[in-house]
Amino acid sequence: MERRDSAMSEKPIHFHPDGQEALVELLFQLADDDFLLAYRGSEWLGLAPHIEEDIAFSSISQDTMGHAAMYYQLLEDLGCGSADELAHARPASARRNAVLLERVNGPGHYLREPRYDWAFTVVRQYFYTQAKRIRLESLTKSVYTPLAEVAAKIQVELHYHLLHWHTWFVQLTNAPLEARTRMTKAIQDVAADFAGVLTLGAKGTEMVRWGLIDEEKVLTENTIAALAPAFAEVGLDWPMPFGMKHGNGRNGEHTPDLDEALATLSEVYRAVPHAIW
Amino acid sequence: MAGKEQGFYQVFEVFSRKAPDAPMQHQFSLLAPNEEIALVMAQENFMRREPVADLWVVKRDYIRRMSEEEKATLKRLDNKDYRLTRGYGDLKKRWRKYEQNVLDEKEILSWKGEIRR
Repeated sequence: MERRDSAMSEKPIHFHPDGQEALVELLFQLADDDFLLAYRGSEWLGLAPHIEEDIAFSSISQDTMGHAAMYYQLLEDLGCGSADELAHARPASARRNAVLLERVNGPGHYLREPRYDWAFTVVRQYFYTQAKRIRLESLTKSVYTPLAEVAAKIQVELHYHLLHWHTWFVQLTNAPLEARTRMTKAIQDVAADFAGVLTLGAKGTEMVRWGLIDEEKVLTENTIAALAPAFAEVGLDWPMPFGMKHGNGRNGEHTPDLDEALATLSEVYRAVPHAIW
Repeated sequence: MAGKEQGFYQVFEVFSRKAPDAPMQHQFSLLAPNEEIALVMAQENFMRREPVADLWVVKRDYIRRMSEEEKATLKRLDNKDYRLTRGYGDLKKRWRKYEQNVLDEKEILSWKGEIRR
């Protein structure tokens, strides 16, 4: 993570007091989205269907974890607690990530007979990366300058992430037989929860009113416009409408998959919370 | 160059290595009507004065090159110390310091903040 001026991190930065709640809420959504998806990505280590992909995907997950760390740092700067604590110690009910991103990679467990679903992973990663790109474009214009600056940095790494997942998405979907069938099914599966990625949650209107981010409607339209050409490339119908089949994570609704993920990812942190890394 | 539009002459890229265990390196490009001619031309046009252990030619059209837009994918953030072994460069120094002290719980807890960067 980027090193920060110590004077800066000790003194909380303030946004307008009335708008701070909406800002904090938005930052938790951004941080938790990247954090949970990066965690799910890390579970593929050693299991990806191709050895070079194993490395490339792991690098992407590390990048994404780095993006989450930047958002958690912004929260730390606002006096919300240390970034490590925010990442590891918050219970599921406090998490604001979209449910789609917490869902397990597939049947099995990474230590015991993982039967992970690569099609689901590719579709989830591709859809999310497009939504993330649109969101970042909007965030670079955020009135909260530290957030706009972080967004501009993250954009740099999105070019590769997008190229990567677009390539997998198109090639697998255009492949014959089982691949296309599985991709088609995965698209339906991801679409059923994708509205949860696009929503800004209960405080969305406040976020927009304070000039932190564009309206949910605009972000959604732009994301659909960004995804549409890929659907033309693979000759599939658009999987509208998007749903929130497993709940709205922005409102703290989550699945047991998240409890399991948090228990695993925070195991070492909880063992010795005051350890220095 | 003249190798445009599948004319008689095509552009070939030439690679060589100086010794059997040396890395393959890109050297030059040349024009030839096919890969056999490219190989024999490469050898005598460019490799007359130096030792060569192996020689490859490949039609430039067969190389997947990056567009200007794609080159944007090569940039990354400077936050990946953990991928570089130099992140462990001060381990010896740290160990020396800790070995001089008794490693009891009080000592371990006292590290808090000290190493924080």
